[in-house]
Amino acid sequence: MIHFNQLTYTYPGSSYPALSNVTLDILEGEFVLLAGPSGAGKSTLLRCLNGLVPHFTGGTLRGSVTVAGHDPVAEGPQVLSRIVGFIFQDPEAQFVVDRVEDEVAFALENAAIPPAEMRTRVEEALGLVGLLPLRDRPLETLSGGEKQRVAIAAALALRPRILALDEPTSQLDPESAEEVLSALERLNRELELTIILAEQRLERILPYADRLVYLPSPLPIRGGREGVVLSGPPRRVLRQMDLTPPLVTLGKALGWEPLPLTVEEGRKSANRQIGKSQMANRKSPFVHSSIRPFVDSQIRRFSILHPPFSIRDLHFSYGDTHALRGVALTVGEGELVALMGRNGSGKTTLLKCIVGLLRPQQGEILLEDESLIGRETADICRRVGYLPQEPDALLFADTVADELEVTLRNHGLLDNPPIIPADLLARLGLSGLATSYPRDLSVGQRQRVALGAVTVTRPRLLLLDEPTRGLDYAAKRELVRLLREWQAEGAGVLLVTHDVELVAQAADRVVVLEQGAVSADGPPAEVLTGSLLLAPQVARLFPGTGWLTVEDALAGLLPS
Amino acid sequence: MIDVRAWVLWAVTALVVASSTRNPLYLVLLLLVVAVVDKAHAPGHRQRAVLSPLRFAAVAVPLSVLFNGLTAHLGDTVLFRLPTWLPLLSGSVTLEALVFGATNGLTLTAIFSGFVVFNQVTPVRDLVQLTPRAFHEAGVVLSIALTFVPQTTHSLARIREAQAVRGHRIRGLRDWLPIFVPLLVSGLERSMGLAEAMVARGYGAVTDRSQPLRLQALLALGLFLLLGGWLAFLFLPSWKALALGGILVGVALIVGVLWLAGRAVPRTAYRTHRWTARDTLVVLGCGLTLAATLLPLPLVDRTTLAYAPFPRLTLPAFDPLIGLGLLGLLVPVYHATRNTQHATRNTAQ
Amino acid sequence: MRRALSVAIYVLSTAIGVLAFIYPFFLNTRATGSIGVAHGQDAPLVTAALVGLALVALLVELQGQAISAKTVAMLGVLVAITSVLRFVEVAVPMPGGFSPVFVPIILAGYVFGSRFGFLMGAFTLLVSGLITGGVGPWLPYQMFAAGWVGLTAGWLPHLTHYVSRVPCSVLRVASRTPRSRGALPTEIAILCIFGFVWGLAYGAIINVYFWPFAVGLVAQTWTPGIGLGEILARYAAFYVATSLGWDMVRAVGNVALVLLLGVPTVQALRRFQRRFRFEVRPFHD
Repeated sequence: MIHFNQLTYTYPGSSYPALSNVTLDILEGEFVLLAGPSGAGKSTLLRCLNGLVPHFTGGTLRGSVTVAGHDPVAEGPQVLSRIVGFIFQDPEAQFVVDRVEDEVAFALENAAIPPAEMRTRVEEALGLVGLLPLRDRPLETLSGGEKQRVAIAAALALRPRILALDEPTSQLDPESAEEVLSALERLNRELELTIILAEQRLERILPYADRLVYLPSPLPIRGGREGVVLSGPPRRVLRQMDLTPPLVTLGKALGWEPLPLTVEEGRKSANRQIGKSQMANRKSPFVHSSIRPFVDSQIRRFSILHPPFSIRDLHFSYGDTHALRGVALTVGEGELVALMGRNGSGKTTLLKCIVGLLRPQQGEILLEDESLIGRETADICRRVGYLPQEPDALLFADTVADELEVTLRNHGLLDNPPIIPADLLARLGLSGLATSYPRDLSVGQRQRVALGAVTVTRPRLLLLDEPTRGLDYAAKRELVRLLREWQAEGAGVLLVTHDVELVAQAADRVVVLEQGAVSADGPPAEVLTGSLLLAPQVARLFPGTGWLTVEDALAGLLPS
Repeated sequence: MIDVRAWVLWAVTALVVASSTRNPLYLVLLLLVVAVVDKAHAPGHRQRAVLSPLRFAAVAVPLSVLFNGLTAHLGDTVLFRLPTWLPLLSGSVTLEALVFGATNGLTLTAIFSGFVVFNQVTPVRDLVQLTPRAFHEAGVVLSIALTFVPQTTHSLARIREAQAVRGHRIRGLRDWLPIFVPLLVSGLERSMGLAEAMVARGYGAVTDRSQPLRLQALLALGLFLLLGGWLAFLFLPSWKALALGGILVGVALIVGVLWLAGRAVPRTAYRTHRWTARDTLVVLGCGLTLAATLLPLPLVDRTTLAYAPFPRLTLPAFDPLIGLGLLGLLVPVYHATRNTQHATRNTAQ
Repeated sequence: MRRALSVAIYVLSTAIGVLAFIYPFFLNTRATGSIGVAHGQDAPLVTAALVGLALVALLVELQGQAISAKTVAMLGVLVAITSVLRFVEVAVPMPGGFSPVFVPIILAGYVFGSRFGFLMGAFTLLVSGLITGGVGPWLPYQMFAAGWVGLTAGWLPHLTHYVSRVPCSVLRVASRTPRSRGALPTEIAILCIFGFVWGLAYGAIINVYFWPFAVGLVAQTWTPGIGLGEILARYAAFYVATSLGWDMVRAVGNVALVLLLGVPTVQALRRFQRRFRFEVRPFHD
């Protein structure tokens, strides 16, 4: 149904092609997962389907694309909008009107559908995504997952045969992401819609996918491509990929057949493996991964008794809502504490209380024996670095180097900086980009610039709010490496995240917040395995072993 | 809910009435009618920050009185005289002038309060839907702008926090720069994402809809006639009839071009409100008011509309039929009370 | 032919707008008598309608040319941002007539051209009127005037170009200063003057709407033979007394904002323009 033939596309002003000789076939009714590192061209490929590339973006295109017998390049997005529905990544930036049903009707208005039929189609589209009860709600009152479903409904109004989605769940929390994905799965199954989905977090979708397409990362220096586009049934393609979900990586390393895509599939192989390794004698309740940094045992002992950062009995309410009830928390020197919990449990509120953006009604926050409550944010942030959920809000200078300077100037440290900016840039891997305009950089690079801007004052405590949204595996690894460097220098890190695998890899301790109160606080092996929702794939596969990561499992199963 | 179009007619009627009379009695009656409608619809609807009519009157009336009193030196009842060496103000300050100023202020207040009510009761997005087809792009721009206003305020809050976190303090005007620039740039970036989303849903990437030459020519002609007619009306009093004709033809041509341009637009509109009997009743009420005020009906004494305190201060006259006509603007109140009755009955159940 | 018609439409609708602003100065003594006076009241209403119509005609003409989805989206977002600023102005008591709305309109017109500037000015006033509850018969005047602010701002780059070639030592020196990654000092200076002038002019224009209610008609209808000079003098007095103070604050405020925001905003807008290749050029295979 969809056929790419030797497609090569270069963005205007770019020196190397975004897509190089891509040849690919997609059959009708398939659920296709499009994977690959950032910058590989997934978004570009999707936009070729409905003609946004090249009609909206310009540039030069060679080769051909055929979609359900139409040629997007020749016919353009207006014609193709009736065949391909497109959903974008940012739920905030897709809406023209502010009411649900008007938004769904927008596409119909553009197509000059008669008013009577418009009504039926709007109801049909909303019904397909389960949003009929919300039809006259203003869009700003909806959650992220609901907004994305409205976007899907808006695309469905024109009755397309194909849905293309560009990382629709990357800005959403796990519950919302699940809503969106199950809606897609249902659409594919019941309506036989062909769905092509670009995603970073493969584990959520692998079970549903009929086909996995992998785009390798481009190598601009050599002007060509290392690696080839892979396409086929998921298991086959996964074998050839480097960075895969933990379960799949484990399966590949241990030679499991068939390669498991879900924990349920993996259980049989796991049990067999355990039997093979005669687990009875080799079970260890707590395996400290050999990759974790070694922090001086003296400091660690001291910090357990007298942690540099502590919160005691913190209460905060907005009007009638009691957001934080008696939260108590500590972060030791060089310790990475992960803060987890459902949406609305108070995690961001807690971070804001720490940096002084919100003032708690009761309780105490101490950093190195000084109380932080009641002090000005700008003052607190000399010693506490806070990376907000949207790091773009920080960037406004002309160059990367200027961003660091701005922070130093704000704090009056320009003459005597705690870290030399050039050194910090080198550590962040941004030396070559010191004179670039920050907003021209990729998502991962921008995040690192923002990190630089908040850590240039050498803070004792680092707060990170959902830093791994939208990052690919390589960028995530890079972030963990950076955090470990800071930990080695003695800074404490408080990381708010939903990403269980990240926590399994990087955290020293895990604190879980539920409805504003701490419900669990302990080492990851205890906390993560204690709850079904929070357990990483490896832990669910090998219950009771205390293993959290692939490294743990391999260390435990294979003869050393 | 009363349809927006009916409300527009209501507001325009109030405007026309306020503009066509200076008789303080009618103006006060109009103000009372508007206040009653406002009260009836107010409870659910305080949606936008607005200056109350009373405060407006407190400013407009005295200002007008002062101005008139000081600059218009006509009338019989002299209060006192200003010395002759003052440039424009020299002359007598008369009671008549003061009263005239007061009626002026009252007129302004009446117009203002009519629109206050209009702003309160019409949801903004419904107003935007009224955009005629010929302007659908403008309509889309308005929709986007209205949708992005709350987003922009959220963005503003987020950016302020983000800058505070890197040590930024707002001490002076200069310090708003690191907040304004990211707001602008992120807004612009979002707009590109939005443009993409629009094009993906069938909105033309480039609307190459240039007007046919015929329409452009007609538009130019219409404007020419309008301008010419108006100039003639002002400067050549003997050609008044012709001038009026020119104006009317010009207006007709322009409206005609708009209609034709609208027809050429290949889009339809999704409307959730349907016209009901309620709306027709409101229109009839407005029609009654307009008829009483504008049409030369036999029993109605229209000279009472004009009131001037010059040359001698007199008491204004009042024709009860016109007063009755003004009450036609009260129709929306009936619907409002029925609504609240229904609402209380529903909540009681 | 098309171009001639286009120019004709611009000129005619502007003339109508200008006429609407200055007609009170020309209102002849009409037939005296009470009905005459009563109808004299209609004039502001009718002129508002006519101005609205002229505005509409201009909009139709502007839309007749190609407008891309990118322009529409960008216009929408910029209007939203500027309207939020206006909202701040209404909610927080500001000194005098200061309005933060004009400088963004001027800068947008300056960077993106006259057509964009006009649309931005008109729509900003419309949207901010809608969200602050300020819709009224004065709105067409505001929209027209604000549109003109943006339109004329689009002519400034040409002016800057000529000024930088003027063989005058001061200006020459100013334009020779090395480009500090952004707007030249001459550009900022011109923008400041522009902002100041429009700050006063806008007030004068809008004031004319209210003038007949406060004074006007009495003077003309009841003193026959009054001359144009006398009327202008009265208006000048009215203006000085009521709004000069406010307008001066607005004008000075504009200058301050240009100095504060001018360089970074123009830079950001120009950069954005480069990045997103505003005009969609047809691709070549």
